[in-house]
Amino acid sequence: MIRCLVALGVLVLSGLAAGEELRFCLRADPKTFDPALVADEYSFAVQYLTGGVLVRFNRRTQAMEPELATSWKVDQGGRRITLQLRQGVRFSDGTPFTAQDVIYTIRRLLDPALHSPIGDSFRSGAGELRAESKRPDQVVLTFPAPVVNLERLLDQVFVQSATSPLKEKAGLGPFVLKEYKTGAQLLFARNPQYWKRDKQGRALPYADGVRLSIQANRETELLRFERGEIDLINTLDTRLYDRLQKEMPRAVADLGPGLDSEFVWFNQAPGSPLPAYKKKWFTSAAFRRAVSGAINRADLCRLALNGHAVPAAGPISPANQAWFNRDLKPHAFDPKGSLQMLEKAGFRKGPGGLTDSEGHRVEFSLVTNAGNPARARLASLLEQDLAQLGIKINIVTLDMPSLLERISRTADYEACLLGFVNTDVDPNGHMNVLLSSASNHPWNPKQAKPATPWEAEIDALMQAQAGLADARQRKAKFDRVQRILWEQTPIVYLLHKNYLVAVSPNLQGADPRPLAPQTYWNIEWIAPSGTRTISQR
Amino acid sequence: MRTLAGKLAGLVLTLVVGGLLGATLVRLAPGADVDEREQDARLSEASLAALRRENAAPDGVVSFYAGYLGRLIAGDFGKSRGTGQPVREILAERAPLTLRSAGFGYLLAWVGGLALALLLAGLRSSWLDVVGAGAAGLLLSLPAACIGFVALWTGIGLEWAVGAVLFPKIFLFSSALLGNLYGRPHVLQALAKGLSSARILVFHVLWPAVPELAALAGATTGLAFGAAIPLEVVCDSPGLGQLAWQAATARDLPVLVALTLLVTLVVKTSDILAELVRSGLRESRA
Repeated sequence: MIRCLVALGVLVLSGLAAGEELRFCLRADPKTFDPALVADEYSFAVQYLTGGVLVRFNRRTQAMEPELATSWKVDQGGRRITLQLRQGVRFSDGTPFTAQDVIYTIRRLLDPALHSPIGDSFRSGAGELRAESKRPDQVVLTFPAPVVNLERLLDQVFVQSATSPLKEKAGLGPFVLKEYKTGAQLLFARNPQYWKRDKQGRALPYADGVRLSIQANRETELLRFERGEIDLINTLDTRLYDRLQKEMPRAVADLGPGLDSEFVWFNQAPGSPLPAYKKKWFTSAAFRRAVSGAINRADLCRLALNGHAVPAAGPISPANQAWFNRDLKPHAFDPKGSLQMLEKAGFRKGPGGLTDSEGHRVEFSLVTNAGNPARARLASLLEQDLAQLGIKINIVTLDMPSLLERISRTADYEACLLGFVNTDVDPNGHMNVLLSSASNHPWNPKQAKPATPWEAEIDALMQAQAGLADARQRKAKFDRVQRILWEQTPIVYLLHKNYLVAVSPNLQGADPRPLAPQTYWNIEWIAPSGTRTISQR
Repeated sequence: MRTLAGKLAGLVLTLVVGGLLGATLVRLAPGADVDEREQDARLSEASLAALRRENAAPDGVVSFYAGYLGRLIAGDFGKSRGTGQPVREILAERAPLTLRSAGFGYLLAWVGGLALALLLAGLRSSWLDVVGAGAAGLLLSLPAACIGFVALWTGIGLEWAVGAVLFPKIFLFSSALLGNLYGRPHVLQALAKGLSSARILVFHVLWPAVPELAALAGATTGLAFGAAIPLEVVCDSPGLGQLAWQAATARDLPVLVALTLLVTLVVKTSDILAELVRSGLRESRA
C-alpha cells in the first residue's frame, strides 16, 4: 500500500515537472507586439510563435518552402509575385484567412508613415504597390520596381487579419499569446485554429504551450536550465557553454559560425574632428591592410572565444552557403609583412614605437561598447597584436548610446570595435552598410558622392546585383564586392562567432541551426517531455 | 502643524529639484537622442530620418523644462527607452511585488530584530550577547546579492531575504539601545525594588527608546528599497528593484529618473513620519 502511494506520488510529481509546455528565456521584454514593426529579437520571438508567414526559409535546407502560400511565382524581373494561398485556414480567433489579409498586410508594411523595417526591405522604387486578387485563393502583388529575392523577404512578413476585431492579436502561428507580465514572463497557448498537421494527421504544434521567462541574467538562465526549469537556451556565451558542456555534454551544441561578425574600422569621415595626420593614416589602404595582417585571428578565436569562432575574411560568414565567397581567405597573420608594408608607406618603427613620415607616434583610441566581456577580450588581444608593430591602442569602453552618438552623429572617434548581427542571408541586407550614401556606412557615412573609386565600384555592383533576377549573376557581382572589401580593408573583419545553444535532451524534434531563431525555428515540431509519441515530417 | 507644513514644502521642493535634475540628465546625457534601432540595416533613409525626429530633444530649454515638469505633475514620466511603454504603466505593474516583498521583509526584520534585542537585553547574558552579535555581524558582512543567491538556492521567498538584509542592522542598533537603557541607574533601582519586568520593559525601556527606534524605522525604509535591487536581480523577481537594475544597465533614463523620484518620495515621507513621531514624543514629555 505504502509502495503504491509512493509510486503514485512520484508519478504525479514527475508529471508536474515534465508538463507539455516548452520553456525558455528571453533576455528582455519585447519592444512591440505589432508584427509590422518588429526590429528586435525578442519581438521577433513573439511573432515567430504567434504569426504565420506566406513562405518560410527553412533553416536546415536554406531553401524556401510553402506555408500559407502553397506555391508562388516571381516574374517581370522580380517586380511581380503571384501567390497561391492555402485554403481553409483561420486566424486564432476563427476569422477566415483570405487574399484580402495578404493585401492588407503588405499595404500596411509599405505605408510610408509606419516606417516599418520589414516594409523598407520591400521598398524598391518610387510608385505604388499594385495588389490584385481575382480569385479568393490567389494574390498578385506588383511592385513599382524589381524587389530582389522577393519570396525570401516574405519569410519576415507575418500576415495580419484585415477584418478581425482582435487586429494584430489574431495570428496564424502555432501559438497565441495568453498572458504577458512585464519583466516576468509571456505565456502562450496552442492555437486551436493552426492549420499544420503531421503525417498522421495530428494537429500541430506538439507542445501545449510555451512559457517565455524574461531573464537578463545569463547565470540564472543556466542554473534554471540545469535544474530542468527551462528547455532551451538560444545563445550561450562561450564561458557558460564550456561549463555546461562539462556538466551536461548531451545538452549543448556548437552549431558552427553564425551570420554575425566582429570587426574593427577606422574613422575615415572627412568632417571628423581628428587631426589631419590621423585621417591620412586611416584613409591609407596600406595602413589598414598592415593592421589587418598584424592581427592573429586564430588567437582571437582561441583566446577571446575559447575556440568557438572562425576567422573572418569579410562580411559574409561561411554559414551563408549561398553568398560566401570561397576564394577569399582571412588576411594571413604576418607581422613582418605588415611592418614592411608600413615602411613602404612611409612609417618607421623605432624604440619609441611606430611613427609616420612626419614623426607622429602611431597611437589611436579604439572605442567599443561596455558590458560585452568577449569584445573586451578581443580589444585586449588587438592591443597586444598591434603593439608588435609599435602601434599603441587605447581602449575606450562606452555605453551603447554614447558609442552610437560618436559613430553616427559626431564622428568623434578614431577606431571602433563592434559586431553586426545579421539575420538576412541576402546581400541586400548589407545595402545600408555598403552603399557610400548610406547612414550606416561605418567608416564614412552619408557621402554625397563616393569618396574613392573602389567605393564607387561597390555602389555600382550593389545596385546592379539588386536589379538582377539571375542568382549566378548576382553572386558574381557580390563576390567582387567581397573581394574589394578584402583588398581595401575599410573594415578589418576579425571573426564570425559560433552559435552555442543548449537543448534539453528530453525534447523531441529540436533541430538547432545557426540561423535565427536557432533552437526553435521549427517550434511547431518540438515536443516537450511528457508529450505523446511524435512522428517525423 | 507649522513643522509639518515646512517638511511637506521641503519634500515638494526636493521632488521638483530632483525632477529638474532628472530632466537635465535625460536631455544632456551623451547619446540621449540616439536610438539603437538606427543601426537596423533594413531601414530606409526616410525611416531613419523619422526615427531621429522622434528622438530629438525639443527646441528651447524653458519649454523643455516646463513641459517636463507639467507632465511630471500629471504623473506622466515619459516612455521607457527600453520597451517603449509608458513609465507610469511599468511602475504600476512592478510596484506591488516590491512593496509586498520589501514591506513583509521590513516587518519580519523589525519583529525579529526587536524581539531578539529585547530578549537579550532582558536576559542580560553576556555569552548570549556575543552569540547574537556574532550572528548579526555575519549577516551584516554578507552582501545582499549573496543573501539573494541563498534565497534562490533554497527557494525561500524574497521577503525573507529582505528581512535577512535588514535584520542585523535593526538588531544591533536596538540591542545596543535597549542594553544601554536597561543599564541606566533608575532601571537597575527599579529592578532591585522588584518592579515587574513587563512594567520596566514597557515604561522604562521601550517607551524612552521610541524616538530612536522611530528614526531607525525611517532609515530602514530606504534600506529595504535599496536591498530590493540586488535581491530582485539575483532572484529574477520582476519588481522595481529589477527594473532599476535593468534601467541602469540599459541607461533607460526616463525609468531611472522616475524610480529616483519614487524612492525619494518614499524615503522622505518615512523620514518625515519618523521626525513627527520624535517631535510629538518630545513635546508630550515636555
